[in-house]
Amino acid sequence: MDFRLNDEQQLLVENVRTLMKSENWDAYFAECDAKHQYPERWVKALCDLGFDLIMLPEEHGGLDLGLVTLAAVYEELGRLGAPTYVLYQLPCFDTILREGTPEQIEKILAYVGTGKQIWNSACTEPGAGSDVGSLQTNYTRRAGKIYLNGHKTFITSSAHVPYLVIMARDSESPDTFTEFLLDMSLPGIKVEPLEKLGLRMDSCSDVYLDNVELDESDIFGTEGNGFRRGVKDFDLERFLVAACDYGWALCAFEDAARYANVRVQFSKPIGRFQLNQLKFAEMAVRINAMKNMIYETAWSYDQGEMTSAQAAMCKYFCPTTAAEVVDRAMQVMGGISVAGDHRVQRIWRDLRVERISGGTDEMMVLTLAKGVLRQYAV
Amino acid sequence: MKIVACFKVAPEAEDIQARPDRTLNFDRAQWKIGTYDLNAIEAARQLGDLTGGAAVGLSAGDSELTNAKLAKDALSRGLDELAIIIDDALPQAESYQTATVLAKAITDLGAVDLVILGAGSSDAYTQQVGNQLGAILGWATLNAIDSIAPQGDQLIVERLIETGVQVIQVSLPAVLSVTAGINTPRIAGMKDILAAGKKPITTLDGGALGPATATVVSQLAPEQVERKNIIIAGSAAEAASELAGLLKTI
Repeated sequence: MDFRLNDEQQLLVENVRTLMKSENWDAYFAECDAKHQYPERWVKALCDLGFDLIMLPEEHGGLDLGLVTLAAVYEELGRLGAPTYVLYQLPCFDTILREGTPEQIEKILAYVGTGKQIWNSACTEPGAGSDVGSLQTNYTRRAGKIYLNGHKTFITSSAHVPYLVIMARDSESPDTFTEFLLDMSLPGIKVEPLEKLGLRMDSCSDVYLDNVELDESDIFGTEGNGFRRGVKDFDLERFLVAACDYGWALCAFEDAARYANVRVQFSKPIGRFQLNQLKFAEMAVRINAMKNMIYETAWSYDQGEMTSAQAAMCKYFCPTTAAEVVDRAMQVMGGISVAGDHRVQRIWRDLRVERISGGTDEMMVLTLAKGVLRQYAV
Repeated sequence: MKIVACFKVAPEAEDIQARPDRTLNFDRAQWKIGTYDLNAIEAARQLGDLTGGAAVGLSAGDSELTNAKLAKDALSRGLDELAIIIDDALPQAESYQTATVLAKAITDLGAVDLVILGAGSSDAYTQQVGNQLGAILGWATLNAIDSIAPQGDQLIVERLIETGVQVIQVSLPAVLSVTAGINTPRIAGMKDILAAGKKPITTLDGGALGPATATVVSQLAPEQVERKNIIIAGSAAEAASELAGLLKTI
């Protein structure tokens, strides 16, 4: 494996850096974070550079540049403190292209380049978290129409997306699980945003469905497809979560390193004290481990070989490890990391959520262990 | 309209480090298109779009110019093609030598209507090459250009002067040096970067470098002084008065 970026990849990364230096985005992110607001202006600027074309196939107007390229862009954006977690939908058109009808694909791709939030999945319910199979949202056919009823919770992006892919069970046949591409402007849908500890620039809401009337053409994928659609896409999402976390760890590490070189106490920069040097050594080891895992997994994906275990390994390792890095970085920066408005505070809050959203640590352990043990099955 | 945008590849300013003896260390510096030259490239592209003309990049330098990434970087910013002149003596050339080489290249390119340069290179920043190039070519030559608009087969340009703005009608061919504020250089998108690798690059012969009229004897960073950590207390008026007094002693 050779992870050196080619000319084009290097230029992409450099231009992303130029965009990030083009204005004080940090102030914008702080404002959006405080207001629980999606940073649409920033995402639009990224889309103007073609960010949402990186993983889109060429036949749909994309560039199909692969996950290593995307990882390099995530790394740079994260390093500069950007909320990469709001970008998950933009590299994830694969699901839509694979499962969607031509009309559904057209509706979703119409948003490419706009910077707006487009869609997200809705599985979780008050009684169905990691155990998604226990969900109660149901659909019923009546007089040539389909009616959706239920309550989804912790649904990411749901306050602003025009579409949600909703998982429901057939009221006539409860073991049949089907997904629907739900137009969020339909009557009978109520969205109640929730306050969150972190990841505040992406909404998280309760979604109530009260006799929402749908057509057969709103079915997403095949009726009864159940969770088979989601499993494949979870892997990419889990990788992206890990890529965000690695980038933010790098951001905190660099902020702390710059600080340690200029902050003078007892007549010398605090980076010269061995207690702090230990922290930098520990941070560097962790950052290197995350970096190698992220790039190796991205490379595997581009070869068509990424496994669920690899994705789960990234999602299990990176949020916790990045949090360990950020914690040490905050300790180096002392007061300014906890008082005032340093971005490391936002990163620290965001990372705590990452261990839960998109699949908990515990679920990652199950997937990872299953994948590891399977290799030695006799 | 055939528009040539000249640019110089120079070490990235923020990567240059001063050694304790004040000499400059370029070891960690990336070589990039000069900051002010990006304005020239952008102006050429914009004028090319307005007139249906072609924007050609022109750069003279050492073998660093054969770096494929640098060429792609330039071409991704809207240039239709690139012409380069390689001579290992060029980075140390004085402005008149550079202007002479560029003038020959522009003549060799042929049918050039307009040459646009930045305010100055990001390393030497002599702000001389544009005016000297115009003089050698014998074309209309203006600097401090803050706006360019086509009008028939001429241009209407705005030139910043200390007391205001001159609006000038310029006949072609011409050589214009533009300000850093004339535009905001685009950040090349991913499609532009991928397309850049397919655009043509021509290597031109710059001819023998003429004799230099001056030689740089040394180039040193400004002398650094220790921070004095003076904190001025008191009301705003008192502090301002004391600060002014201190500044006068520097």
